[in-house]
Amino acid sequence: MSMEARGIWSSPMLRWVAAGLIVINGFFPAVWILFTSLKKEVELVQKPITWWPHLPTFDNYVRAFTDQPLLSYFKNSMLVASVATVLSVLVSACAAYAIARLNLRYRQLILTCIVASSMFPLVTLLVPIFETMRALGWLNSYAALIFPYVVLNLPVCTLVLVSFFQSIPRDLENAAMIDGCTRVGALFRVVVPLAAPGVFTACILAFVNAWDEFLLALSLNSSPAVRTLPVGIALYQGEFTFPWPIISAALIVSIVPIALLIAAFQERVIGGLTQGGLKG
Amino acid sequence: MLAKLRDPSEKALAVLLLAPAFVLLLMIVVYPIGKLVYNSLFAIDKGGAFLGLQNYIDVWQDPLFWNATQNTLLITLITVPGALLAGLALALLANLPFKRKWPVRLSLLLPWALPLSFSGLIFAWFFHTEYGVVNDILSRLGLQSEPTSWLLKPRWAFAAICLTVIWKTASFMALILLAGLQMIPKSLYEAAEVDGATPWQQFWQITLPLLLPSIVVALIFRTITALQTFDIPYTMTKGGPGEATETLAMLIHKYTIDYSDIGFGSTLAVFMFVISLAVTGVYLHHIGKNAQ
Repeated sequence: MSMEARGIWSSPMLRWVAAGLIVINGFFPAVWILFTSLKKEVELVQKPITWWPHLPTFDNYVRAFTDQPLLSYFKNSMLVASVATVLSVLVSACAAYAIARLNLRYRQLILTCIVASSMFPLVTLLVPIFETMRALGWLNSYAALIFPYVVLNLPVCTLVLVSFFQSIPRDLENAAMIDGCTRVGALFRVVVPLAAPGVFTACILAFVNAWDEFLLALSLNSSPAVRTLPVGIALYQGEFTFPWPIISAALIVSIVPIALLIAAFQERVIGGLTQGGLKG
Repeated sequence: MLAKLRDPSEKALAVLLLAPAFVLLLMIVVYPIGKLVYNSLFAIDKGGAFLGLQNYIDVWQDPLFWNATQNTLLITLITVPGALLAGLALALLANLPFKRKWPVRLSLLLPWALPLSFSGLIFAWFFHTEYGVVNDILSRLGLQSEPTSWLLKPRWAFAAICLTVIWKTASFMALILLAGLQMIPKSLYEAAEVDGATPWQQFWQITLPLLLPSIVVALIFRTITALQTFDIPYTMTKGGPGEATETLAMLIHKYTIDYSDIGFGSTLAVFMFVISLAVTGVYLHHIGKNAQ
């Protein structure tokens, strides 16, 4: 290969084009929805369609909150995802500590069991989970979603936390125990503070998973009072004649918190995801 | 007793710590699977008499089952390789030495973090016949004189769904592959450069072979999720037009929740479970081989 060709390969030009392609691929759908959410209905039905909103308006945002109980969907999502996150990370942290640190005979088998549970399609579990929740009278309640979400999050959180616990030197813990700490004491004084970044990563992954879940939320919680955002917004369709600008506004409102969360903690999220994916 | 609780033996502690995870797994994964098989064999909503394989025969003879199975397998066969190729392209581009890494990283994370159902809604709007941006671009480029009714014609609807699934999943694929790319030692490329290898040769001789483990893991994960495709077709077409884009997951949901036919829904779920088990078997075999 000639020098010029290799020059192209490492030229800043190629980097700009590459970055442009990646950014357009990632952001275009969100940006398009943002544009749509700012258009008046008269502008929306113009042909040929406009790209940039000529008469930007926030009416759609107001209507997204007044025509539909968007605020209530938002609160439901927040509540379900937060509680599910805390419980997922608690349960996973216990299991991960045992797997990473204690003298277990079937360490690998236990980890495999937990990871393999994520391989079962959620939809096959839908029928029995639906029956169980119906029998318990838990349909249309937060608990109907929280418990399945904890199980949903268990594999990825456990994987992330196991590798974090393993990265903490055992000597630190031993030293604390020699100094008179009990094992549980050493766990809380030494391991937990050092594992905080791992716990945080697990929290973000768990939160995003719970925030995004659709099938169970649609099937178990059909009543408007307990609907989460994905279900609430998906059901806008059909209840309106032409609700695209309002749907778009509602989508933007629901995407922003998650987008901010991952923007602030990109490296952690990517680290956690690839650990969960590659180690499995 | 209290002292024992404060410093339990290693074994007791292990049981204590693992118990919550396993109780939950038993309740929400193991018990349901047993219940599914039971549901499929007994007249669960009609007195509980033993039905034998009647449900299985009914499913086997249901054209909707075959239609949904075919759609699910087609979506898997199209979107898994599609997402791999798109993800590989994104990963190779993202692996270039950028000065600022965050715009590229965030662009790969955003589609992952976006709920599947939102992606479906957004792309349904993209593919809108009258006001969709896809038809607008195609018309401006002169590629069509009449707008295509994307979501109203079976084949086009299927294509639109596949494109959406590929867009949604390619970024996660890219993140996994990017991590794999970054683990390849730079010295290999430097040595290849000295030996006069072209970038093309470097890709085939170094990048691809060393990336293969990441590719296999990403493919298996993606296959398992592709078999469960639900959110995107549900929000884009609700399985329509007719049943042209109905997947197995949607059929299970329809029978169980909309028709309250727990027995039939369970039998469908058993079929799906068996298919997934086969893929999981391949996966476990794969990590077992790597662990040795």
